Amino acid sequence: MRSTILGCGSYLPPRAVTSDELAGALATTGPQLTESTGVSTRREAEDGEGPSQLASRAAQQALAAAGLGPEAVELIVFATMTPDIVFPGPGCFLQDQLGCRTVGAMDVRGQCAGFLVALATADRFIRAGKAECVLVAGAEVHSAALEYSPRAVAVTPYFGDGAGVVVLGASPEPGVLATVLHADPDGLERFWCEFPASRHLPSRMDIEAFRAGRHFYQLDAERMHPQAERVLPEVIGEALERAGVTREEVALFVLHYLDHRVARRAGRAAGIPDDRIVATAEAAGHMAAAGVPIALADALAAGRVRRGDVVCAAAFGGGMAWGAAVLRL
Amino acid sequence: MSELVNSRILGLGHHVPDRVMTNADLTQLMDTSDEWIQQRTGIRERRYIREESGPADLALPAAQEALRSAGVKAEDLDLILLGTLSPDVDSPASASLLQRRLGVRGMPAFDVRNQCSGFLYMLAVADSFIRTGGACHVLVVGSEVHSTGIDLSTVGREVAVIFGDGAGAAVLGPEPDSRKGVLSTHLHSEGKFAEKLMIEVPTHRLHPRVTEAMLDGPGSRLWPRMEGRYVFKHAVTRFTEVIHEALAAHQLTPADVDLLIPHQANLRISQLVAMGLELPEEKVFNNIQRYGNTTAASVPIALHEAVTEGRVRPGSLVCLAAFGAGFTWAAALLRW
Repeated sequence: MRSTILGCGSYLPPRAVTSDELAGALATTGPQLTESTGVSTRREAEDGEGPSQLASRAAQQALAAAGLGPEAVELIVFATMTPDIVFPGPGCFLQDQLGCRTVGAMDVRGQCAGFLVALATADRFIRAGKAECVLVAGAEVHSAALEYSPRAVAVTPYFGDGAGVVVLGASPEPGVLATVLHADPDGLERFWCEFPASRHLPSRMDIEAFRAGRHFYQLDAERMHPQAERVLPEVIGEALERAGVTREEVALFVLHYLDHRVARRAGRAAGIPDDRIVATAEAAGHMAAAGVPIALADALAAGRVRRGDVVCAAAFGGGMAWGAAVLRL
Repeated sequence: MSELVNSRILGLGHHVPDRVMTNADLTQLMDTSDEWIQQRTGIRERRYIREESGPADLALPAAQEALRSAGVKAEDLDLILLGTLSPDVDSPASASLLQRRLGVRGMPAFDVRNQCSGFLYMLAVADSFIRTGGACHVLVVGSEVHSTGIDLSTVGREVAVIFGDGAGAAVLGPEPDSRKGVLSTHLHSEGKFAEKLMIEVPTHRLHPRVTEAMLDGPGSRLWPRMEGRYVFKHAVTRFTEVIHEALAAHQLTPADVDLLIPHQANLRISQLVAMGLELPEEKVFNNIQRYGNTTAASVPIALHEAVTEGRVRPGSLVCLAAFGAGFTWAAALLRW
């Protein structure tokens, strides 16, 4: 048995935050922020709305597209780096919000490659015969974790909030043609957030660490870019080879990386024409585990790809983890 | 297309810090007593880290022992999974830090965050990858440092006395005999009860996710909260239910089980579950007396001790089961 995509859904919270709006707190100008990160607007979740709630809306859309109700779901795999609460994970909240049966709800952490980790895991569960219908969610509320002060000028404007969901089902014909995952722990500190940190005595979080802002993202984008430009073309090649698909057969490449201009450069380096690239961070900023499924759902909704088309999604980011998936829709 | 193969545990290891915290030691920090703790939980002592170290640090010696015992080199791993609810840092995943400590690269490394059921959820992931040819050798580690994340004052005592630090690891690989190894895994959740056992802060439902006011004072939302009696009652029901589910999937009954290794949540829960299944004491493995509840680490620590003590032999039917925050619960059947 293989797995195939039965439905996709996405949700972006309505509140748009422009670079002009952010500029004051970051002590710069809107055009400068847009210039430095390539992002002009990003979305922000409402207070009280965590990633599970965003994912709920995306999941309802994905289930409707699949023509299924929540009772059909046999496993939830949820990827995020910004969970509703510390524990339990958003997968459990989503199980409740959707009204699924008491099926497994797994929470995975793979940062920007998180959705591909979740997708590969779901694909393996279906192929192993452990589940026939898996709901794979990626959602982030980065805005709750970001710093709104001048020292975050090279971090905060990159990120946005949102959720995407893919419903995978068992099928004799493969839809998920190949998944490839990698990680290299060299240079982990290039995308890092220290606190809360259970390794610290006497407490995982304290006032000193809080006042020092050690619970904010540390990001060294300049040093991540070269790695992104190297590994994205590599992993695309590896995944296509494993899927037995040529570049020309791929209708759309979904390239997921912090900086969409770097993602696009990596795509060009892989020999992909510009009009077949979606760089996920372009539309509404970078959403670590959510960018890939949102782009998939949006490309389908916009008619940019159709059932039967082959899509290749590749991601690189924190961890340093990266991967790719080749999908026949 | 290649035929599915089973997976099996090739090697096990565990590591606990050498600092022993007895119930008497806890009475120095909070208003409690050895008698109260033992009566309600069966716990006599637990381990706490002595120096700054996180789950990935505790995981390293456990993983190395499991790799040695499996005869697998770290660089030959195809996948590294780490389960924890007390990660080393906020991001990235503790699996990435373990990958660095192991000195390897290339293979994926990610965290599975399913609290007390974490090891069984990871076992299901590892089994799925191996069965479908997606990986040959998978390292699965449950590791926790609870001692830096509990309120060690009288306010937090109901939760604090239960938890301990530690790590347990397993290396899984393919098993050609379909009657051996991991026979099946069974995963469940019920988010309706998420708030019965949780740590709330930082919370990405609020802007910002953590404030100075949230960190301060007794009853801070930084510490775990538990409605103990509620969790206890559900645990006994769900443990029993999922063990029956796993056995029924293979037309087996509790009488066929050679050893039950329940997640070490509370000795009283384990005893009630065993009683309900009519399992004699020698068929149930408990070590919570010495380690407390180590959430994702408890099952692999217990399994390693059970194997080391000769309580699991070739051909033994081993049932692993867990229940905890989420609520999540799970079971796995293994033919050794």
